[in-house]
Amino acid sequence: MKLTQLYNRASIIITLSILLVAGIVYYIAIGYISNKQLDKDLTEEMEELSAYINHKQQLPKPIDFDEDQASFTSIGQQKIKRRFVDTPFIEPGTSKAEAGRAVVDMVSLRGVNYKVVIAESKETTENLVQLISIITAVLGVLLIVALIITNRFLLAGLWRPFYLLLGQIRAFQVAGNNTIDTVGNIRADEFKELETAIRTMANKAADDYQSLKMFTENASHEMMTPIAVITSKLDNLIQDESLNEAQFEQLQDLYTATGKITKLNQALLLLVKIDNHLISDVAEIELKTTIKQKCRQFAEIIQAKGIQLHAELQEKKFKFSPYLLEILLDNLFSNAVRHNLPGGEIQVLLTETNLVFSNTGKPEPLDSEKVFERFQKGKASEGTGLGLTIARNICNNYGLQLHYHYAAPFHQFIITF
Amino acid sequence: MKLLIIEDERALRESIAGYFQEEGVICETSADYASATEKIALYDYDCILLDIGLPDGNGLTLLQELKAAGKEEGVIIISARNSLDDRITGLNLGADDYIVKPFHLAELKARVMALFRRRSFRGNNQLQYDCINIDLPTMEVKVDGNLVTLTKKEYDILLYFIANKGKVISKNALAEHLWKDEIDLADSFDFIYTHIKNLRKKLADNSGKDFFKSVYGIGYKFS
Repeated sequence: MKLTQLYNRASIIITLSILLVAGIVYYIAIGYISNKQLDKDLTEEMEELSAYINHKQQLPKPIDFDEDQASFTSIGQQKIKRRFVDTPFIEPGTSKAEAGRAVVDMVSLRGVNYKVVIAESKETTENLVQLISIITAVLGVLLIVALIITNRFLLAGLWRPFYLLLGQIRAFQVAGNNTIDTVGNIRADEFKELETAIRTMANKAADDYQSLKMFTENASHEMMTPIAVITSKLDNLIQDESLNEAQFEQLQDLYTATGKITKLNQALLLLVKIDNHLISDVAEIELKTTIKQKCRQFAEIIQAKGIQLHAELQEKKFKFSPYLLEILLDNLFSNAVRHNLPGGEIQVLLTETNLVFSNTGKPEPLDSEKVFERFQKGKASEGTGLGLTIARNICNNYGLQLHYHYAAPFHQFIITF
Repeated sequence: MKLLIIEDERALRESIAGYFQEEGVICETSADYASATEKIALYDYDCILLDIGLPDGNGLTLLQELKAAGKEEGVIIISARNSLDDRITGLNLGADDYIVKPFHLAELKARVMALFRRRSFRGNNQLQYDCINIDLPTMEVKVDGNLVTLTKKEYDILLYFIANKGKVISKNALAEHLWKDEIDLADSFDFIYTHIKNLRKKLADNSGKDFFKSVYGIGYKFS
């Protein structure tokens, strides 16, 4: 939900609640005050009545009470205390009942007690309450309209730099040459600070990225040259015909170890490159053709291990780095071969949405998270322990998904396009 | 064949020179940009091995200068940078090949020989070794005049060994040449054994000679 919407909603709820509470308080307060006023009127009425009765020694006629209505009931020797009640009030000449206020009291005339009820209409008060309610409601509506307009125009204006900055952050790529531009006249200090902070951060990220790139290249150079020296010295050393068998055995171990260091170093550098999006060649690729070619390439080793290869491939065109695709497929193929059983099976299934490599192997599922972690490899594996990490990082960084699934007896590596 | 090795790492430079040193090959070396420029200006070479990262300049600049001066030398770039961009830049600047450190000397020799053949024969590209005749464009192999059918791998192996004739080639170098790092080393050693056994037999059947000599389990020598 957008910030303006959230803000609108909150402010409207708060405003409405306050108006509602205010309305209720008004209603109660006005009711109380008007009752007090009426009660005072009625008390005066009552006193006038007492004075009349004392003076005239007779009950007055109803006509003597202007707007009010009075009734007298003989109650003998009973006594009543003065009290005020709400009562329906019927307007003379009509049958319509409206709200009224009445005083109930007692008068004595010639030794007989009379219960006196004087009622008065509350219509005026009711009208007042109605008027106040209407004013409150109108005020509420006006307030809401004002709030919405303010929020829409004022807030949108205030937040404009934020959205402009957000757009720039979205478009920002550490590898690219784009920088965060100033977004013009910003009024709010917070956004000024945000803009500065983002610009600083972006510049730092770009700088760090550049130095990382330099580091990658330098590390490659610094490590590969000594390894090249070792390899070349070994190549020359084995030309020596005076060496004996035991010495050749040691040289063979050196060869193997050097080869492993080389592969490890290459794999680590490749990972850095993938993670930093340093490989950016993209071409339209017909995946079916590429996979067929890979099948041929691996046919020798697959055949030698007595593995059956089944490939079910649909045509699928997509845009990807040919270099990375090659590495990805190599890694998945050699993984399927390496961890297979003698006489096992490999299935390659390519559809419009998926590429699935299934291979037989140890009949137990692997940990679907750990299998992609660095240096998680089987004890018998000759690999670097980085093959699947590289495969997953290629997928993650270039818009594909790779996950592991065990469907007995197959270990499956599934790429989703 | 006259060769110039431009490489700043002394040990590597000497190794390469030592490996290439044989009858008919003259190896000269340069440790930096300045001396390399001087040598290139003074002499003509058949092939130049050029390290990109020199202490006093970039090898690619040297390559540009070389091409600008209209020199005809074949150039193989030696680089520690295995990046696609560098490779493409190097080849676009007119380099003939690009080899990434670390490499086996046998691989380098094979590349140099291939380049040398391409440049010196132009068209009529026949490779003769002892009684073995290879027609490179058609990949036809004749032994004592008899056509021998070789698999792709056997053909690759044969060319590789002829380029490195008289040298012991380690199985590791051969495995890398044939499969890069597609398969595990242990598996590739088995394949190498099988391929060489078959190739050896095919050549021996037609010539009566055994060209391959196994060297203590570390590799093979072709002579």
